[in-house]
Amino acid sequence: MSETVDIHAPDVEVKKSCCYFCHQNCGVLAYVKDGKVIKIEGDPTHPTNQGGLCCRGNIALLHLDHPARINHPLKRTGAKGENKWEKIPWDVAIAEIAEKLNQIKAESGAEAVATAGGTLRTDDWSRRRFMNMFGSPNGFHNALLCWIPTFMMETAVGGWSPFETDLATSRCVILWGFNPGSSAMPGMRGYSDLRKAGLKIIVVDPRYSETAAHADLWLPLRPGSDTALALAMIWVIIYEGHHDKEFVENWCTGFEELEDHIFEYNPEWAAEQTWLDPELIRQAARMYAQNTPGNIQWGCTADQLGKTAGAGMHARAILRALTGNLDRPGGDLMPGPSMYYVTDEELEGNDWLPEEQKAKQIGSDKFKLTSWPGYQRIADVSREVWGKAPTAEWMCEAHGPSVFKAILTGDPYQIRAMIISATNPVNSYGDAKMVLEALKQLEFLVVCEYWMTPAALYADYVMPIAGALERPIVHNNYGVTDSLITSQRAIQPLYERHTDYNFWRDLALATGQDPDQWPWETLEEAFYYVIYSFNSSGYQFSSYDEFVEKYRMFYPPLHYYKYGNNGFATPSRKVELKSSILEELGYPSLPTWIGPAENEVDDPEVAAEYPLVLTTGGGFMPYHHSEQFNIESVRFLKSDPYFTINPKKAAELGIKEGDWCWIETRRGRIRQRANVEPSVDTRVIYCQRGWWYPERQEDTGAEPFGCLESNVNVLTSVDDEHCDPIGGSWANRGLLCKVYKVSYWDETDTSYSIPGSASEPGVSVPPSEQKLAYEPIPYDPKPTFEVPEGLTWDKDTKLAWDIERGLAYDPNSGWLYHPETLIYYDLVTKYAYDPETETLIDEATGQRYSMETREPIGEGEAVKTTAAEAVAAEELAAKEAAAAEAAAEAVIITPTDIERGEQS
Amino acid sequence: MSHKMDTNKLEKHYWIWPIAWYLFLGGLGGGILFAAGILDMVFHAGYILALGVLFAVACLGIGSMLLIFELGQPKVFLRVFLSATAIIKWGACLLILAMGFGFIYFLFWLPPEWNLFWYPWLWIRDLCAVLMALFGLCVVVYTGVLLSTMKAKPFWNTPVLPVLFTVSALSTATAALALLAGMWPSYEYILAMIGSDAMAQAMAGEVLHANKEVMMEILHIADKILVIAEIVVLLLYVLTTRASGNLTAKAVALEWISGKKALLFWVGMMLCGLTIPFLLYQLGGVGAEYVAPVLVLAAGLLLRFMIVYSDRRRSMPGEEQYYRRLPKGDERFLQGWKAPY
Amino acid sequence: MTRYAMVMDQRRCIGCQSCTVACRTWNELPMDIIYNPVVSEGVLGEFPEVHQTFTPLICMHCDNPPCTICCPCKASQQDEDGIVWVDETKCMGCKVCVNSCPYGARDVNHDEGFVRKCTFCKDRVREGEQPYCVATCHQKARIFGDLDDPESDVSKLVNRLVTERFFEELGTDPQVYYIPDLGGVK
Repeated sequence: MSETVDIHAPDVEVKKSCCYFCHQNCGVLAYVKDGKVIKIEGDPTHPTNQGGLCCRGNIALLHLDHPARINHPLKRTGAKGENKWEKIPWDVAIAEIAEKLNQIKAESGAEAVATAGGTLRTDDWSRRRFMNMFGSPNGFHNALLCWIPTFMMETAVGGWSPFETDLATSRCVILWGFNPGSSAMPGMRGYSDLRKAGLKIIVVDPRYSETAAHADLWLPLRPGSDTALALAMIWVIIYEGHHDKEFVENWCTGFEELEDHIFEYNPEWAAEQTWLDPELIRQAARMYAQNTPGNIQWGCTADQLGKTAGAGMHARAILRALTGNLDRPGGDLMPGPSMYYVTDEELEGNDWLPEEQKAKQIGSDKFKLTSWPGYQRIADVSREVWGKAPTAEWMCEAHGPSVFKAILTGDPYQIRAMIISATNPVNSYGDAKMVLEALKQLEFLVVCEYWMTPAALYADYVMPIAGALERPIVHNNYGVTDSLITSQRAIQPLYERHTDYNFWRDLALATGQDPDQWPWETLEEAFYYVIYSFNSSGYQFSSYDEFVEKYRMFYPPLHYYKYGNNGFATPSRKVELKSSILEELGYPSLPTWIGPAENEVDDPEVAAEYPLVLTTGGGFMPYHHSEQFNIESVRFLKSDPYFTINPKKAAELGIKEGDWCWIETRRGRIRQRANVEPSVDTRVIYCQRGWWYPERQEDTGAEPFGCLESNVNVLTSVDDEHCDPIGGSWANRGLLCKVYKVSYWDETDTSYSIPGSASEPGVSVPPSEQKLAYEPIPYDPKPTFEVPEGLTWDKDTKLAWDIERGLAYDPNSGWLYHPETLIYYDLVTKYAYDPETETLIDEATGQRYSMETREPIGEGEAVKTTAAEAVAAEELAAKEAAAAEAAAEAVIITPTDIERGEQS
Repeated sequence: MSHKMDTNKLEKHYWIWPIAWYLFLGGLGGGILFAAGILDMVFHAGYILALGVLFAVACLGIGSMLLIFELGQPKVFLRVFLSATAIIKWGACLLILAMGFGFIYFLFWLPPEWNLFWYPWLWIRDLCAVLMALFGLCVVVYTGVLLSTMKAKPFWNTPVLPVLFTVSALSTATAALALLAGMWPSYEYILAMIGSDAMAQAMAGEVLHANKEVMMEILHIADKILVIAEIVVLLLYVLTTRASGNLTAKAVALEWISGKKALLFWVGMMLCGLTIPFLLYQLGGVGAEYVAPVLVLAAGLLLRFMIVYSDRRRSMPGEEQYYRRLPKGDERFLQGWKAPY
Repeated sequence: MTRYAMVMDQRRCIGCQSCTVACRTWNELPMDIIYNPVVSEGVLGEFPEVHQTFTPLICMHCDNPPCTICCPCKASQQDEDGIVWVDETKCMGCKVCVNSCPYGARDVNHDEGFVRKCTFCKDRVREGEQPYCVATCHQKARIFGDLDDPESDVSKLVNRLVTERFFEELGTDPQVYYIPDLGGVK
């Protein structure tokens, strides 16, 4: 106990660090004595946790010096997977890796090098910066399962994802597939407080979760049917007239189309899909729509529905808009990118990546919203309205599963090298058997890790990474919000551990990237650059650490109704219920129902053999994804994997509490123990995710560390037809499965594969031949104006062109203009307009003509123009100037802005 | 981790075999002192029972050693006397007193040819007989009271338990005395007292044999009664607990009646430990002389073990589910980690 | 006078077991000693009409503790502010207190041989801080304070709301109060 260590002793320093075991980044006070952290506790002044720390937060010291941590760079000496290593110095490892990457780049192009990430813990912008300069578009995270498709969808529809919920004055919140009771502890405290004060909480979850236990209304729907529920809620809101008519009329487009489109999705229809009582759906819709302002809290369910995901995310975005909850007090706030500090996107250097490389991004031909085609479109609009673009790392990435498939098939091209950091892809990406096979076959693999994971085992180099307490952290939610919270490192990294930033920087310099583009030697220097601009007003600090110690956080002034100034950041500057961006990308522009990956209605034959509905996506305390399974104190609480089954179904199947059972889908089977509990429907099986057995340190055979034994991703599918064509996410929920007890002779079966089609890991159909869940809809926009004779309509630019001269037609003025010089030309004569002299010039001859008469005039002759034309020309010039100014202003932080922030 | 962890705190046995042995030996020793003291006072049969007294003192001594051995910190066992109120402290004092008086009493039965100076002070011997009987009984009762004061353990926390322990202790004591009766040093001692007259010696021998027979008869009858009493008390104890309101006690009683302790209880205790000895006593002969007392002693030990291992704590709602899911202690992740290279 | 007590708000507890781990790390307890289990009978009822309650356990720091009078060494003792603790320098490890506690709040440290138990983090409390399990609880489901101070949070809660205590019939007078999930105002 703390009798042995006195945290109040004079030589003990207190560092404002933060937890690094999930993305909440709760504040931690670290007591440091002689360069050693002797105790940690939750920081009572931190806005997120107010002193609280969960199971994970409390184990930082156990994590810091765990005997199984990787502390030095390791180079493989045996065969791949043989677990034979040699310790080598950091610089040597970096040099060797760089040499190999450069060689691959020279032989196969930069795109043959990919990187995989996990959660938000890899100093992501530096990774992107490296990849952009290196020239590869093939970086990816588990972004597609984690809110990113939702972000992109909501940004496409409404101009920014309503990431922040103004709960203090809210009256109703929907927690949709979101269980803060086990994944966002600080948030859960807030909900408990607010509920006491009268906030209505609606929880959508097939399982009676910790959060559902605190709900006013719980909708235990069929896993994977969330989209149907959302559509039916829209139906109720529209046809019962609960929508915010004023907001819809003034600020939404496509309402009439939506009204017609949604007609078939009534609650009775949804009842079949969701197993919910239609009255319950109506009740939920009314509760949400009548208790405004209200919120739909962000959560990752919609991203994990597989092929039905896109429509679901779209429907939720529509729900927010229909109720007028966007960017209003108590509603779903749209902070936009920060104007006050350097955003992640600005650090990423996306301009370095050449267009032809962007086009090579794997998966971008299929899943367009979350890769370059969709991102580019959204970023362009975003820059026009907000002045900055969303972060590209996360929002614009290669399709992870397609990259793994490319390793195995060489389709569309061979991926030869991969750098994996902060992820254990065998556990966290879909189709674990395929991923494991890909890692085994990969030519060159570098893994940045804390532990020996199944991925690290097949690596050529394993790099030791600094963890909690060893690194400074800026918490700004993927760069999609305008506030930030900072934390400092308690100690320098132990042993030869380095931060991810230092890894990428060192690698960048070793591969020959320009050192001037990597001017910051440490993360603190880089972060100082990020927040430097605060210095000019009110804040006074000369280093990052000083900022942390004095201020710690930055919250800009809160502005509601920001759309009142420039409109929403969409092409039409309104919330596009019928999304033009989706339409352009070849997707249904209104949310259209398509059943979950596997379901009783569409696949009755599958359902006959696999009668139960599986959900695998739920996080559970005390683990974060596949982490902390090797911390004894944490593992002690949940030492075995448990799946939940309803007692009635269990009795039917002869399964008793604690029995080891197989859970089998068409793709494989895993075993977990039975948690017999009436928290799920009799037709539902809820599996715990993330399970592997790091303690089996000698078990480094074909399936190292038991990584397939209880791993739910053995059950999931990443076939293109099961993925969401819009965002590319695959299904963790709503899959069909069966469950049976592990029998005596199963004990000897270590393959965890079922005989038949799923027994061989890998890819049976080459990616290029795989079909999507639905065919892209050819985008063929018709002109909205009459195209003058002689001009050609172009559907991509949505403009009429004089192809011969490269001039575009401006339907408002009736003139032609050059898209780059912005010089206007007469439609008939093609003479250029000169605003200085207010005359027309034939550029070919230099001859001037009168505006009025189109008659040739001599030099210096006064020109008569009508008053109306003069005003029009002036307005045009002013508009251009304003646009240019806005673009320039966007990146400049004026002192007055910050002062405003101080005052409020 | 060197030891296997006991993670289920509801079922964890904080007191294990040394305590069971201690309770048995304490009961046995105390019981012998009590019985021998009483019999000596009433029948002046000390010379037949002297070895039993020595055995009793040894039992108490070994029991105390086991008690100390069982401590988490055996080296500092003297701390036991710090408190004024604790029942354990009283127990320790009673043990010492009983042992002490028993030992002094025994000193008068050492070989006569040693001619120890205290032999003539018979009043001390008689006083010691009274005191050792008194403290012996206290020790017997104490072993039961110790357990029955544990509010945490519903199966123990009943006034029937001291009764049962007392009956059982006296029963085992009687059995032990019966086994040891008339053995060294009584004959030689008596004969030496009588002198060298052959006739008188022969007569004395007969009397002694007769007395021993009578004493054996008394002991056997007493034990028969005690065995019957024990059967009654034990059944009362288990069956009333089974019917009691406390769920934990009920569950443990059920374990005895039809659960995993049922075989030990019905066959081990009730049949072999109590019924068969009773029948053997009834039949007489070698069975009564040797087999029955041994069985009774074994039953006494078995009873202590069964009781000590029925120490299930009363649980709060949800505790059972909680501890059932915890690791058992021998899981691989608890066996230490090695560096990854 | 000061009388420390704890209130467990079962309306707020979500069973995350943070207090379990936090206590273990703060007090550097071995793996098999748990001062703060969070238990639950699981989800009860029939789907979808179900309910679940979590019960954080801890030493009840009874007003009439059975574990102090039984200690032969005066190691197990109660301070004036109600905190029951074990003086490791006096304990000889007889475990009689472990067996006498109806709440399972005590355990023996195998390697060291003496009895260990929750002390309400008395070293922290006497520095004016909260016990660590209270400080670490995100949900503020644990409330700690002085029951003799009518202005303290614990007094207000105990006086205003329906609270329950475990095994009151044993006469231990436990000083950890539970606000039941479906309770109400007195």
